[in-house]
Amino acid sequence: MMMRIGFQFLILVLIISTTVRDRMATADNAYTLDTVREALVRQEDTIVFGLIERAKFPFNSQTYDQKYLEIPGFCGSLIEFVVKDTEIVQAKAGRYENPEENAFFPENLLSSLVPSYPFTKILHPGAASININKSIWKIYFQDLLPLFVSSGDDGNYAQTAASDLSLLQAISKRVHYGKFVAEVKFRESPQDYEPLIHAKDKEGLMKLLTFKSVEEMVKKRVEKKATLFGQGISLNSSDDNNGKQKFDPSVASKLYEKWVIPLTKEVQVEYLLQRLD
Amino acid sequence: MMLRFLLVVVVLISCTDIYKTVKGDEYTLESVRASLVRQEDTIVFNVIERARFPLNSPTYDPHYASIPNFSGSLFDFILNQTEDIQAKMGRYINPEENSYEENLPASLVPHYNFSQFLHPTAASVNINKSIRKIYFNEMLPLFVTSGDDGNYAQTAASDLSLLQAISRRIHYGKFVAEAKFKENPRDYEPLIRAKDKKSLMKLLTVKSVEDIVVKRVEKKAMVFGQEVSLDHDVNGKYKVDPAIVSRLYLDSIIPLTKDVEVEYLLRRLD
Repeated sequence: MMMRIGFQFLILVLIISTTVRDRMATADNAYTLDTVREALVRQEDTIVFGLIERAKFPFNSQTYDQKYLEIPGFCGSLIEFVVKDTEIVQAKAGRYENPEENAFFPENLLSSLVPSYPFTKILHPGAASININKSIWKIYFQDLLPLFVSSGDDGNYAQTAASDLSLLQAISKRVHYGKFVAEVKFRESPQDYEPLIHAKDKEGLMKLLTFKSVEEMVKKRVEKKATLFGQGISLNSSDDNNGKQKFDPSVASKLYEKWVIPLTKEVQVEYLLQRLD
Repeated sequence: MMLRFLLVVVVLISCTDIYKTVKGDEYTLESVRASLVRQEDTIVFNVIERARFPLNSPTYDPHYASIPNFSGSLFDFILNQTEDIQAKMGRYINPEENSYEENLPASLVPHYNFSQFLHPTAASVNINKSIRKIYFNEMLPLFVTSGDDGNYAQTAASDLSLLQAISRRIHYGKFVAEAKFKENPRDYEPLIRAKDKKSLMKLLTVKSVEDIVVKRVEKKAMVFGQEVSLDHDVNGKYKVDPAIVSRLYLDSIIPLTKDVEVEYLLRRLD
């Protein structure tokens, strides 16, 4: 009698554990090399749109001047006020529960006030929280912005800051997608990565992750998108190609070549180094 | 002789001063039209970006997000809080910007001297309540797929960005109306005094121009929404159906802009 109950119980446990494993397996299949690549391609459009929209405003240096803003209880520039406070609102609304999202001021955030959503969790727990936004922030304001915005001031500092935040978020998302790229690549051929990870061989990992031909294609495609999306469009089709460009397309490919691609690979390497912890 | 010369000089100098205080000469019919054209790109980009997410209906469900001390949906929360931040940073000091929320905090930043082109009593026309309703009831269902991916915060932020672009374009009708009025005040004055909405609407409507706008928006949706590849032309695949994008203009954005123009003009002589 006891043996029969025990046997039935065992069958029950086996059935439950296989269905749970199946559900986990299907959730994991949301991220594959193909879907990750598709996501990266789609994100190019978002970044190019973001660049074009930021280029609508001149530099508007007051936005970035700590001395311009004099708010009791707050020390910083207008852009810092906008980004910090907007991120708090977004955090309360659950944005950063999604592993694809990374805040610029994570130390500032409050917890989500909305019901938890079962986002697919494929990242290795220890490595999932890699966040290099402080570097991205610096590069964005010191190196990228001066490349493509005209000097000048039109007083629209709040809109300028909102525009910067939107573009920063798009760049950050793409760069941190390196975690998903790395996880998917690792799962495909762990034997290739494990020895390098154990040896903490950053250079070896970087070499393994680099495909020059793919990078060239990405840069060319981004430049093509910037050319197409940045052109002035009129109904007279002969005007289109000599139409006024809203935006210098080479800035988009430079952004990818000098910063987006290298930083994404840095994130991949950092992620992999922690993958076996 | 010297006195008369000095008098002429003084008069000339005071004339230039008067010219300088006539602000808002940055707005002309041509500059207003150029701005509207550029705003098409912003609206098309934002439609494409919103279409990345499915409908994500919990975003708009007041019962989904139970945020302490706040009554409304997740979208309402994000709209309210984000406009709050933007208001403090001076966004709505610019006459081109119109908020969806009322009772926003005052700007905390130094005052910026934006051009004051609009007639003071008519400048505050704000039809954002209608725009918001039309956006969620009529526009959004046209170009988003049904479904749920959990990204409600990003969805709401995306909606807000698009709503701001649409609002700015529609309320640009105030600048269009002012520029048109300044060009031909005699055409408008009798209609305004008679409060003749229908005739004002007729006077403001140039079908051929509207057709060009709708066609150009469709073309932009085709160019900006295309799948771009290096090796082959992916024809016919768009992130959003360009015909739908042009419908947004035909059915909602153009008519609402004219509503604003009429509303503005009705107050122009106050």
